[in-house]
Amino acid sequence: MKRTVIGLIAALAAAAAPAVALAQGKYVHANNSGYDNLDPHAIYDVGRAASRINFYDGLYRWVDNPPKLIPWLAESHTASADGKTWTFKLKQGVKFHDGSEMTADDVVYSIERMLATKKGASSLFIPIIDPGSTKAPDKYTVVFNLKEASAIFMSTVPEILIVNAKLVKANEKDGDWGQAWLAKNVASTGSYKLKRYDPAIGFVGERFKEHFAGWGPKAFDEIEFRTVLETNTRVQGLIKGDFQGTDGYLPYDQILRLKQEKNVQILEQESMRVFYFSVHNGRPPLNDVHFRRALAYAFDYDGFINDILKGAVARNPGPNPNNLWGAPKDLKGFAFDLEKAKAELAQVKEPIRPITIGALAGFSESEQSATLLQNAAKKVGIEIKIESAPWQVIQSRMQDREKNYDLVPLWKSTYYVDPNNWVGELYGSRYLNTRNYSYNNDPELDKWINDALATNDQAKRQELYEKAARKVTDEAMGIFVYNTKWYGPYAANVVGIRFCPIGSGQDMRWASFK
Amino acid sequence: MRRLEMVLSRLAWFFPTMAGLIVIVFLISNVIPTDPVRIVAGENATPEQVAALRVKLGYDKPIAIQLLNHFRDVLSGNLGVSIYTQRPISEDLAKRLPATLELSITALSLAILLGIPLGVVSALRRNAWIDQVLRVISVSGLAIAAFWLAMELQFLFSMKLRVAPLNGRIDGFGPEPYTGFYVLDSLIGRDWESLGSALSHLALPALTLALPAAATILRFARAGVLEVINSNHVLYQRAMGIPPRLIVWKYVLRNALISTVTQIGLIFGVLLTNAVVIETVFDWPGLGSFAVQSILQSDHKAIIGFTIWTGGLIVVVNLLVDLLHSVIDPRGAR
Repeated sequence: MKRTVIGLIAALAAAAAPAVALAQGKYVHANNSGYDNLDPHAIYDVGRAASRINFYDGLYRWVDNPPKLIPWLAESHTASADGKTWTFKLKQGVKFHDGSEMTADDVVYSIERMLATKKGASSLFIPIIDPGSTKAPDKYTVVFNLKEASAIFMSTVPEILIVNAKLVKANEKDGDWGQAWLAKNVASTGSYKLKRYDPAIGFVGERFKEHFAGWGPKAFDEIEFRTVLETNTRVQGLIKGDFQGTDGYLPYDQILRLKQEKNVQILEQESMRVFYFSVHNGRPPLNDVHFRRALAYAFDYDGFINDILKGAVARNPGPNPNNLWGAPKDLKGFAFDLEKAKAELAQVKEPIRPITIGALAGFSESEQSATLLQNAAKKVGIEIKIESAPWQVIQSRMQDREKNYDLVPLWKSTYYVDPNNWVGELYGSRYLNTRNYSYNNDPELDKWINDALATNDQAKRQELYEKAARKVTDEAMGIFVYNTKWYGPYAANVVGIRFCPIGSGQDMRWASFK
Repeated sequence: MRRLEMVLSRLAWFFPTMAGLIVIVFLISNVIPTDPVRIVAGENATPEQVAALRVKLGYDKPIAIQLLNHFRDVLSGNLGVSIYTQRPISEDLAKRLPATLELSITALSLAILLGIPLGVVSALRRNAWIDQVLRVISVSGLAIAAFWLAMELQFLFSMKLRVAPLNGRIDGFGPEPYTGFYVLDSLIGRDWESLGSALSHLALPALTLALPAAATILRFARAGVLEVINSNHVLYQRAMGIPPRLIVWKYVLRNALISTVTQIGLIFGVLLTNAVVIETVFDWPGLGSFAVQSILQSDHKAIIGFTIWTGGLIVVVNLLVDLLHSVIDPRGAR
């Protein structure tokens, strides 16, 4: 009897041991945008990445920097020789938060839902996947049948986040694919379960102990992501200890301020977020390469990077991030030279008119770079007017060829890790009216970009993207300035943050307190 | 009877006032050079996606038709669905209204409690040092920008002295929601921890909102008392030997407060306006922060919804003020 009791106690202690070892309390993160919607197929912006990454899983997942694609809900995949048929073998025994098993039917439902609702990341798939074409030949196999070969398909697969089909279907209303319900609920296999949600405040996630990927010796029991719009409040809250982390793209003066604090650590990584001037190539005089080059020579790159930004970023002369394949290593780009700018301007045939820069209000780097260019351009005879507006205003105008500004200084973030995310989308005419705001139409460039999309030969793709990057840079289709460094501000006792340019270090399953 | 007539008369103006508000806000929203459909479709949307969404949301119709449709929806009690949050706008507003009311009522109460006594003291000690000090404080209170004051208070009380929370409405997500007013809900649920947290979070934003309002009330109370204190009936009361304290707090104050009460109604509107800034600085999840988000997202229907609700609130508060006014001074109920 005594032995039985001791055995029982030992068994209970053993069962309880991992939970005790994992007890880690709550991590609170101050985010600079609101969590108005939790639907993983409706949102696709960097500001709200935390709910997608921490609540949902994809077939593959991006981790670390440089980014690596690792199998996640899938255990393996194969592609047909023509690059059109992609078969994924799913892991078995993966559980949703409600305890039911995730199967191929859930994957099919998820992609069909994305194609039908046409929101979020769906624009990556709508051009290449027809509704109804994705099949589930058995419980653990999914086959994507693409309309055309797509070398970037694998890079975008992590954006197909898998929802619990049965649960979402049960909450569909008037054929809405459960959008109203999933906007404030979570139906997934993800690392964290939704515990509390208030669109006006944020969300709390509770660790999903049965997650298929298991857990390390330490992990946060709860994660809380709160909306804190004021930069100053986020920074002060971190110093005070109210928050244990905030966004990694704070103004550099705030980073310097945080570096002084003993209870705060700044993690530093070179990201893949290129700051550039989007140039409207489709209207005079900007359709003249000499005018564009004159502008490119009129920007003081070193002054901006070293004096204004205190060397906190790295010069990036072309459209692709320096730290990604497809960026020519010997690309020089433009340097500040007003004499060369004048010489280029002298060759412009069209009448020179004042041009307009749309600067992102509230983003000091966008506004400062616009002013810097304005001052230098004036010296060579180009008048520039600056209109500051919120990003939403700028974005909606950029998507309209007629209403678009002449120039917009902004960042191109990482949505998937492939040069097509930058040079392809920004300058390929297949992306006109979506992510191509330059309104250029260059058949040679288009051919390179389209060929690079159609082949899986990595060496060939690299060659094509490097050629495209050289041409775009040489013809000043955009004015490329720097690649961002990520300065992740966290409480000093937070460890295990795995920064990846996708998600910006907000994938919390790897992190813990010391 | 006169009061009933006054209430009916005010209510008769309610609908034209709200209709005018809707038209003005609708037209201003449409002048802003943004395309709400493109914004909600997202930067990765194709032109086809944008076009389909435009038809679905009714933004393909002429402005006049959109306005008429909106009137029809509002009259049927439907403010529409936020194109950004995808939730009914009434639902979002209803959820946030208690937060703004809790903040505004606390701030207004603080302003009255500070403003009226100090205004009386200032008038009774006219041109004395205390009057001069209060004058400087009240003029400063009116001149200081709300967001600057908010940040200074945060810096002093949260960062330096560490006696008040920096932001938010409560630690975590609040007590069991009976009414949506956290202080009240904590009391109902006997949740003392939440009560303490709610009160401490309320302190700084309420103080920020209250100080300029208290300055206004102080100036009006002072002017009112000065006007009444030299009148014949006060002279008569003094001659009758009524104690000075009783004269001031019973007879003078009642007459002096007539214009101050009217001001309090107007101040409530100012508080709601300032709440837009204060709620953003303190991450107070109320109507003000909702308005900021809606404006940034060009969510026209949400902006109009916010305007209708706040317009309605101001009308109701002014009606209450008029009623109070008629109690203090029955001559006004005409």
